[in-house]
Amino acid sequence: MINVLNNIHSSSADYAQIAALYDKNKDKFFEKIPVQLSQWFDANMAAPLGAVLDLLEDNLNDIAFEHIDNNIKTILQKNGFLKHFGFAHQPDSYCTTIQYQKMKPDDGRYFYGYVTDQFLNRSELPNMSEWLRKKMIEAMLELFVNAQIHSETKHIYTCGQFFPKRYTIEFCIVDTGIGFKRKIIRRFNKNISAVEAIRWAVKDRNTTKVGVSGGIGLALLGEFVRLNNGKLQIISYDGFYQYDSSGEQVETLAKGFPGTIVNVVFRTDDTNNYSLVSESNKTDLF
Amino acid sequence: MNPIRISVFNLVGSGFCVEAKDGDAVFISISKVLQQEQSVEISFQNVEMLTSAFLNTAIGQLYRDFSEEKIRALVKVVDMADADIALLRRVIETAKLYYKDPSWLEESVKLIMGEDE
Repeated sequence: MINVLNNIHSSSADYAQIAALYDKNKDKFFEKIPVQLSQWFDANMAAPLGAVLDLLEDNLNDIAFEHIDNNIKTILQKNGFLKHFGFAHQPDSYCTTIQYQKMKPDDGRYFYGYVTDQFLNRSELPNMSEWLRKKMIEAMLELFVNAQIHSETKHIYTCGQFFPKRYTIEFCIVDTGIGFKRKIIRRFNKNISAVEAIRWAVKDRNTTKVGVSGGIGLALLGEFVRLNNGKLQIISYDGFYQYDSSGEQVETLAKGFPGTIVNVVFRTDDTNNYSLVSESNKTDLF
Repeated sequence: MNPIRISVFNLVGSGFCVEAKDGDAVFISISKVLQQEQSVEISFQNVEMLTSAFLNTAIGQLYRDFSEEKIRALVKVVDMADADIALLRRVIETAKLYYKDPSWLEESVKLIMGEDE
């Protein structure tokens, strides 16, 4: 039976559709898995979809895109996603894509090259302050390193999109690793839910690392998103967490996503230059 | 005696000081100097991007192995951008609290789970 992903934006229900697709097919081996993409598909959602399809391919299944609506096909060919599934790459004449990438967690230098190409060396990028651009890139680097240190994933998947008229950039980073919940259970031996695990992880100074302090990266990202009037979404197993100007929202998905998704929306028309930490005093640092 | 100068850019081999394992190399160099009771100047010249993960291992870990007094007396940071100093300050404050009492993390998990209510 065909797996239909219909009208995929970036809401909890849409992440749930991708998690359900994985859950329905996760025990299959050597089978053909037909997929249909209809109506709409947010470009950044290529990262969680790619992660899930890769896991299904690991079981030697054959992923077959039997139907993709033309508007979706165009964007997913431009951002390089469909290149991984037998389609040709299409040039991005409007230059609004942030390319789909799949990389190994130890490909740190490759990832720096990627963010530099996608966010620093592009004249067509929205007119942002240098400060904002640096903060955005640092946030992405923090997310990459978080996945690298904590997730125990085989690959990290990234994708995004500029929305020039909405003055936003959306960026998604995904792993297929252990997830927040299992990591916390292993570290603290507490039977925590996935939602509680995410709420714990976004708090300042909370870390599962042993012997090294930390827990700043996600907290900083949350503070930056709040000041920037952006949006932060984290999905880890069946936990969904969202922070935006309307506040915090949590939900438990019907089926678990096999890893962690962090999706961030930055506003590019933000002209502030706020310090995310207490005022710097160079003399009394230690 | 002049302080020993450590170039972070040179140790990492890049202006992207991002990964925790790269921070370890900086930490090891600083530790060697402190073990000799020498003062050390850590230069961030030509560093373009920094993460908290890098600074946690490069500098935060020092608070596990050396006293705050010793670090304060012997370690100096130079050539660092203001925004990066703010990040480093946060890393240092976090490290001081963490190494003082790592068990509070378990309490924070209980708190989120509502066990303390």
